Amino acid sequence: MGALGDLAGGLADALTPVNLLFALLGVVLGTAVGVLPGIGPAMTVALLLPITYALEPTAALILFAGIYYGGMYGGSTTSILLNTPGESSSIMTALEGNQMAKAGRGAAALATAALGSFVAGTIATLLLALVAPTVVDLVIGITAADYFALAVLAFVAVATVLGSSPLRGLASLGIGLYLGLVGTDVLTGQERFTLGVPQLADGIDVVVVAVALFAVGESLYVASRLRRGPVQVIAASGPWFTRRDLRRSVGPWLRGTALGFPLGALPAGGAEIPTFLSYATERKLTKHPEEFGKGAIEGVAGPEAANNAAAAGVLVPLLTLGLPTSATAAIILVAFQSYGIQPGPTLLTSESTLVWTLIASLLVGNLMLLVLNLPLARVWVQVLRVPRPYLYAGILMFASLGCYAVNADPLDLVLLLAIGLLGFAMRRYGWPVAPAIVGLILGPVAETNLRRALAISSGDLGVLLDTWFSRVVLALALLALVVPIVLRAVRGRRSTPEELAAGEGLRHPDHGHRESVGARTDGPGGEEER
Amino acid sequence: MSQQQPVVVVGHVPTPRGRAALAHALAEAERRGARLVVVNSSRGDALVDEEYLQGDPLRRLHDELTVSGIPFELRQPVGRDAAEELADAVEQTGAEVLVIGLRRRSAVGKLLLGSAAQRILLAVDCPVLAVKGPPAITT
Amino acid sequence: MSGAAPDPDVSTTDATGAHASAASRAPAPPAGISRGELAMVVLLGALGLYLLLDAANIAVPGSSNTIGPRFFPYLVGGVVLATALALGFRVLRGDRGPADESEDVDPDAPTSWPSVGIIVVAFLGHALLINVIGWPLAVTLMFALVAWALGARGVVRPLLAGGVLSVFVWIVFVKALNVALPGGTLLELATGWL
Repeated sequence: MGALGDLAGGLADALTPVNLLFALLGVVLGTAVGVLPGIGPAMTVALLLPITYALEPTAALILFAGIYYGGMYGGSTTSILLNTPGESSSIMTALEGNQMAKAGRGAAALATAALGSFVAGTIATLLLALVAPTVVDLVIGITAADYFALAVLAFVAVATVLGSSPLRGLASLGIGLYLGLVGTDVLTGQERFTLGVPQLADGIDVVVVAVALFAVGESLYVASRLRRGPVQVIAASGPWFTRRDLRRSVGPWLRGTALGFPLGALPAGGAEIPTFLSYATERKLTKHPEEFGKGAIEGVAGPEAANNAAAAGVLVPLLTLGLPTSATAAIILVAFQSYGIQPGPTLLTSESTLVWTLIASLLVGNLMLLVLNLPLARVWVQVLRVPRPYLYAGILMFASLGCYAVNADPLDLVLLLAIGLLGFAMRRYGWPVAPAIVGLILGPVAETNLRRALAISSGDLGVLLDTWFSRVVLALALLALVVPIVLRAVRGRRSTPEELAAGEGLRHPDHGHRESVGARTDGPGGEEER
Repeated sequence: MSQQQPVVVVGHVPTPRGRAALAHALAEAERRGARLVVVNSSRGDALVDEEYLQGDPLRRLHDELTVSGIPFELRQPVGRDAAEELADAVEQTGAEVLVIGLRRRSAVGKLLLGSAAQRILLAVDCPVLAVKGPPAITT
Repeated sequence: MSGAAPDPDVSTTDATGAHASAASRAPAPPAGISRGELAMVVLLGALGLYLLLDAANIAVPGSSNTIGPRFFPYLVGGVVLATALALGFRVLRGDRGPADESEDVDPDAPTSWPSVGIIVVAFLGHALLINVIGWPLAVTLMFALVAWALGARGVVRPLLAGGVLSVFVWIVFVKALNVALPGGTLLELATGWL
């Protein structure tokens, strides 16, 4: 009740012309980058971080949240019409959606995706509003050791569960943790790993690393293996959304939401596992099993709902614990930090207006996205006519802008290029990028909490297992670390989502793209255990 | 083999001007008893190029050409300008005539982007039939 | 396994040959050890060693309590080194990371080092030029060079596109959002009234 009252207050703030304008700008930009190859919401928010110097927090965060939600919608359009999922969480949508489009049911596929995203996004955002205060009540008393355990769980989950290869995820995480260590230790003022370079005493700016790994790394990687030639666009033909389509979609929408929100909210979250699970569920429950693989509408409705619900779910740990569980969430956390706001249990009380305006603007943005996407899917495809040379040159231009604006120091651009080359190498060898970002941003927080916990216990490591909370969370982290490796050894196969997909006899779409969570596992890796 | 049968080359895109060019080219090929070489090319530098035929529209074009009874060859090169591809096709087949559809473009547009038609005219040795609309029904 | 089922729609365009490489997506099973990845693993191991060794050099203030600034670096160094060893073992056994896929990436294309090289040089050049000739001009040159490396045709069009875009972005971010970016003498004079 209290939450609904706060939400109503937030809605009043979100409906001011300026905030509406930023929400609109955000969702338009988000949809565009969701559609465009090579750019995802994480990269876009990273590139736009310099505007936090100019805008007030509410406006900037509304913009970023709009980009975050918009990216989810844009991905479904290209999945369906081009069979190119812009995000890993759209892979399942492409599976059935593209088949529907090929069978002349493209319009219905787009409609169920957009409506499902809207329904799931709205329900999940309302759930976020209802759940967040409760979660805050639960976690307000957690100890430093508990928080450290949560951070460890997030590290392990991002590194091993989401990526294709747990070890490569850990390697990426290690790089991120190292980059986070460079600089001056906050608690003692000692320089660490600065190599005596004065510019490094302040640490490596998160913006530089994020822009380098995403924008520069991606541009170099694309340049190294540029695809020539267009892909086939299938016209969004066929009857619009019929009553029968609605009947078949409502169940998957709701089940997808029910799967997506809680799984997204777990510190081991991310949006892609729920989409895999939703797809598997719909496949089991459907009354039309013969249509699966040939364009079953349930296979579009469920995963699309799951992916948007998970996107809202990811905001629960972000806003209540300051715990980012995806690359985009990590960068939104940086935006908070650049205003001197540290998301955590106190955020809801200390920045109450900001949080409620943000959540309310997500509801508004969701409605805008429905209007923008339902009738305009064809228009968004036109965005893809941008020639690749100009697209990637433009990305590098914004990378230069975002990075230079931090300190106005050309040396940052050289560092940007160096880390960009690292990002290029990581992509080339299938080391996922997201764990590095999460490690960089969450690493210092984890260290602070670890040291605080150990200071209280005078160095006794047992304090880390003092509460039930930390025991359970660390046990989960251990599971997340060990299970993928054991599964791999036992079955000679790969980690959870792919196993699910492979086990169900699915075929991945032709060019999946795991922009925000690491490399896709399809391909050469499959032969490794022969 | 180009000595045996005359060749008509046509640049085709799935737009009204492209269809007009194709219709004229079919008429030309029939009149000359010629083989038709249809060139549908793409620069290939964007993810989406709606002028490049793939899937169902490609199949429909194929069917349409088959039904016409005129011997044809469909070329879909990727990577260069349409002007270069057409000039190549003309030179390689020793075509009698090249048919192209004209796009209406303002003087400023021509200044900035150049004109593909103009580049074709300068590059090609054979006569060029440049059309703006479908042929009048004469057959 | 994934590319096994050919896509009927793509196969029609194969006839032209132009699209064949993009369409036949069956991943060739790589043989042998990936030297590039092995090099990365060695670097990762070196990073782990560096973290462990250099952590010992971090000064610990006498007043600090039991857990100082060294503990976490040791932890990270240990994790990194262990990961490097385990991954190195796998890579030596022939395991390969699946190269990241992207809509604009042709997984079968050979690596185009010239493109990468030109982009690196262009970016480095613009970093050095920013404070001399201003951001818009430096970034225009970078833009044009990058676009050219990626296959944009001509000289005028990339320069024009880069110029228009960079001046527009500069005006939005500097004049409207007050981000600090050197505009270069000419542009700053021309937009002084804004």
